[in-house]
Amino acid sequence: MLFSRRLMLGLAMAGALAFPALAEGPTEIDLFFPVPVDGKLARDMGTLIKEFNETHSDIKATAVYTGSYDDTLIKTRAAIKAGKPPAAVIMSANFLLDMQIENELTNLDSLIAADGVTKEQFLGQFFPALQGNAVINRSVYGVPFHNSTPLLYINADQAKEAGLDPNKPPQTWAELTDWAKKLTKREGDKVTRWGIAIPCAYDYCGWMMESLTMSNGGRYYNEEFGGEVYYDTPSMLGALTWWNDLVAKHKVHAPGATPGPAVSTSFISGNAAMMMLSTGSLTYVRDNAKFAYKVAFIPRNVRNAVPIGGASLIIPAGLEADKQKAAWRLIKWMTSPEKSAWWSRATGYFAPNMAAYKTPDMIDFLNKNPDAKTAVEQLDVAKPWFATYKTVPVRKTLEDEVMLVLNGKKQPKEALAAAQKAADELLKPYNAETSLKLP
Amino acid sequence: MKLLKGLFEDAPLATRREITPKLGLALTVLLAIVWLIPFLWMVVATLRPASDGINTMAELIPSAKPTLDNIRDAWEIGDFPRYFLNTTFICTGILLVQFVTITLAGFAFARLAFSGKTLIFYLFLMQLMLVPVLLIVPNLRLVAQLGLYDTLTGVMMPFFASAFGTFLMRQAFEAIPTELEDAALIDGAGLLQRIRHIYVPLSLPSFSAFAIISVTSHWNDFLWPLMVINSPDKRPLTVGLSVFTATAEGTQAWGTIAAGTLMVIAPLLITFLIFQKRFISSFVTSGIK
Repeated sequence: MLFSRRLMLGLAMAGALAFPALAEGPTEIDLFFPVPVDGKLARDMGTLIKEFNETHSDIKATAVYTGSYDDTLIKTRAAIKAGKPPAAVIMSANFLLDMQIENELTNLDSLIAADGVTKEQFLGQFFPALQGNAVINRSVYGVPFHNSTPLLYINADQAKEAGLDPNKPPQTWAELTDWAKKLTKREGDKVTRWGIAIPCAYDYCGWMMESLTMSNGGRYYNEEFGGEVYYDTPSMLGALTWWNDLVAKHKVHAPGATPGPAVSTSFISGNAAMMMLSTGSLTYVRDNAKFAYKVAFIPRNVRNAVPIGGASLIIPAGLEADKQKAAWRLIKWMTSPEKSAWWSRATGYFAPNMAAYKTPDMIDFLNKNPDAKTAVEQLDVAKPWFATYKTVPVRKTLEDEVMLVLNGKKQPKEALAAAQKAADELLKPYNAETSLKLP
Repeated sequence: MKLLKGLFEDAPLATRREITPKLGLALTVLLAIVWLIPFLWMVVATLRPASDGINTMAELIPSAKPTLDNIRDAWEIGDFPRYFLNTTFICTGILLVQFVTITLAGFAFARLAFSGKTLIFYLFLMQLMLVPVLLIVPNLRLVAQLGLYDTLTGVMMPFFASAFGTFLMRQAFEAIPTELEDAALIDGAGLLQRIRHIYVPLSLPSFSAFAIISVTSHWNDFLWPLMVINSPDKRPLTVGLSVFTATAEGTQAWGTIAAGTLMVIAPLLITFLIFQKRFISSFVTSGIK
């Protein structure tokens, strides 16, 4: 006999052990996603995940809608603490540092190495500007999925009517102020059309402040270390003063803190001739504007610079190995050139994967919609997005004060000093553990 | 007009010439109009075709060519019948269990004598001071340990006991004369029988007042169900609706939002219109005004 009885028995045992694993069926994983633009995208996300499941029979992914970017962070954290981490999350790119400090993220280095590529090769697929928010202490913690920069949107019809050339958009703050003055329409004391609208609501307000501060030559926070923000600085004071001057001095920007949807609505309806808004709103503007529009870089005072925005894919800590592997395959699939190009066309976000712009569909699309190129071009001057220990509360200390200024209740100088004080207080425990912990 | 007639002609002689009731009426009408405007806007916006453009979005004047497109869009984006079912299940489930717990706990605090009663009662009331958000993580951890993560039971669980309800029932039971209970006691009724036949029937207005508060607050709850539920088919209405109201980058489809909101509030609104009189009288008799 070729096979001894013992060997046969052993094979049967091995078979019995191996079989249940196969019979268990596909690995079930959850992907948490916030809604970046509007409800139709929730359907697009459903389509994307359905396609993934159809092409990967051993994985069953479920897309779980989790509210705003801030809500998504709360839900992910609560799920991790409850011992039920999701397999992957589309997480606001600036929350990664805070989560890494709290040990809530899986370090992706070993997953990348297991694919036989180096970190540099892996990261090399993405625009360099995005790496600052994905790499922490030289380890990869996130994969860029959809990203944005702020843009200046201009109503070209109204610009022409005011004697301005929309093909030569304002490049400096001085020019922008000038444009805004010319574009504002008044009937007596009443303003019937605002020259410019800049959003200020939680999340958006901090991003716009960072953008203006960077264009003013400054920094918002320490990009290398999570314990410092630079609110009470000349560059930020200049930025906030200019914004406030648009409201209080030149009266070309509506007073008060305007949320993002109100800004896009007033631009679309012609009640604001220019607006600063994310490239993530581009598809919405393209679909709804009944006039010619232009998009341009955010004007500079000192230099051209913008923060990136948008979200990265992450894998939370504490996941079983099989789910981690399945999540990694999902992430690689979602950030592949074709998928990220498709998602970019649906949303207006740009595709982080550079190869996406070489796919035939994308080349076609950009030929038809040259405005989609602006954000990509602006990436050359883009820098990482505000990220510290306790990102959300630290961001809110500034936003609360900026809102007071725009409402005419505080002067920029005192507001920034108050914000700095509140933020320092929040950062204290982290600094005590790190930069102030002396040997 | 009947209202005006009642005020000016049928009113008791003593108040007919007084100015106060008329001012009161004027104020009520004013408040009603203020309340009605957003509601009207929602209906108008729901029926407005997207082709009218965003310029007309703020107007209260209905479109010349009303359309059901927005309702269809909202209906397609979310599985609304299922969301309705889930929300209804959550609200009734919570309420039914609450009825049992608040009746028994309210009775214990109102009528039973045990040591440390006042202290325990105050501890109980302190729960009212806690912001629910504070309890999300501990509650979620417990729900997960019980194997109820991503289940509707998990959504309901933390609300099975209600400090407010217990307080309300304690007040209601204390107002009932002990003689009634004594009479039942002489007839040989046990503890539960006394609660069932004396206390519960006499406190019905308080029960319905509590039911309204409980149902509306859980109908509107967003954050807790968002935390517990992962499966799309277990979403309640609030979470389902927010799919198209929450935005990150500043754009909104107002028509679809209006349509979705209308669909979400419709059941509560219809119930209110049907049981209007009942609702109001239960608040009046239970002393919540």
